[in-house]
Amino acid sequence: MRRFTFFGGKGGTGKTSCAAAYALSLASKGTRTLVVSTDPAHSLADAFGKPIGFETALLRENLWGLEIDAEVEAKKYMKVIQEKVLDLVSAAIVEEIKRQIEIAYMSPGAEEAAIFDKFVELMESAGTTYDSIVFDTAPTGHTLRLLTLPEILETWIEHLIEKRRKAMHLMKMAARYDSVLADKIKEDPIIETLSARKEKFALARRYLTDSALSGFFFVLNAEKLPILETARAVELLGKHGVHVGGMVINKVIPPEAGAFFEKRRSAQEGYLADINSRFSSFVRVELPLLDSDIQGVEQLEMMVPLLGALDASGE
Amino acid sequence: MNRQVFWEKLKSTLHNTWEFIVLFHHGTFVDKRMAVVRKEAFDINDNLMLLLFGDYLGVPNPMSYYMLELLPYVANDLEPWERRIQNRKFLIAEKAAQYDFD
Ligand SMILES: Nc1ncnc2c1ncn2[C@@H]1O[C@H](COP(=O)(O)OP(=O)(O)O)[C@@H](O)[C@H]1O
Ligand SMILES: [Mg+2]
Repeated sequence: MRRFTFFGGKGGTGKTSCAAAYALSLASKGTRTLVVSTDPAHSLADAFGKPIGFETALLRENLWGLEIDAEVEAKKYMKVIQEKVLDLVSAAIVEEIKRQIEIAYMSPGAEEAAIFDKFVELMESAGTTYDSIVFDTAPTGHTLRLLTLPEILETWIEHLIEKRRKAMHLMKMAARYDSVLADKIKEDPIIETLSARKEKFALARRYLTDSALSGFFFVLNAEKLPILETARAVELLGKHGVHVGGMVINKVIPPEAGAFFEKRRSAQEGYLADINSRFSSFVRVELPLLDSDIQGVEQLEMMVPLLGALDASGE
Repeated sequence: MNRQVFWEKLKSTLHNTWEFIVLFHHGTFVDKRMAVVRKEAFDINDNLMLLLFGDYLGVPNPMSYYMLELLPYVANDLEPWERRIQNRKFLIAEKAAQYDFD
């Protein structure tokens, strides 16, 4: 069974609704399912009509929800580091170090990194605590960065480890005649820490690029821009080896919508044809535009049978 | 002093001197070589630190959040390192001035 299912796409296309409905369908089949929002603008709680926060909340039998809070995760991370630092550092520079931690916390990449760490932690818990995790992701750009981050950072960190190894090798040579230095470099927490970090990136990459474990589903509407964006994203994920499971074409205006929608509907026919030819190699599911927003478990459940076809791929 | 004794003495002096020379050269040679190795090791490390903590000096680092976890092990080195890097910047600027780049 697929362990990680991602729903991604432009804002407003229906990612959250699809992720929620799909998670419900898994849970009702007895799969212990966690549905996670990685979108800083969470709406999972709205979709379920139940409060969900940064700690796992039980939503119904076999179904848990979580909205990753970057700030909370970053604070936890900082706290652990701060405690360690204060243990090891001379009193004179404690204040300076606290300031450095503060700076890194405010740095541009911090939010993304904090979300990524939680994301990996959750992935690791699948297979034991949960059978399956469904990700309700942020709009495309943010999510593509999240999914391609491990590959880019792994290369970077390898480079750092290589440099440190070289320095340590030279220091060991010098230390043959210098016992003080020799004692200092016996073990290297820097290489250990960098390696642990690298291992985390590698693990995420192994999960994300294993098509038996992970599948990414694009949610799009039959409109020009979402199609173009999806096409670009499919290409990028392909380059990074992330398996695209299929497409959900949401908010398709049904024929019974009436004369008022006729013009829109015929424009949509053209886009649907475009989608079907561009993405012919992927599973495609069409969901009708409903006459109201989708809110609460009952309404989500109406979508469940329609999403069934998504299970056909990625197994 | 008879010849025998003289030669013995000379031999032993020469021997000692030779040993001294060997030791001396070996010593300085090893020390010098090791100093070079040591310096290279420390230079590589300083460059590495720049990749890890460059943001403290205004070099943007997309990974600075992750680099924090190294802080406990390098914190005590940060200040001297910053000083060395500033010196190096100064030296480079001085050299550049000599060559009159325009
Ligand atoms: N098929 C549909 N018919 C009617 N409304 C829908 C449909 N799918 C989603 N919606 C509504 O559209 C809005 C955006 O959906 P949402 O799932 O939150 O999108 P996203 O997570 O991609 O931003 C929500 O108000 C949702 O209830
Ligand atoms: Mg959403």
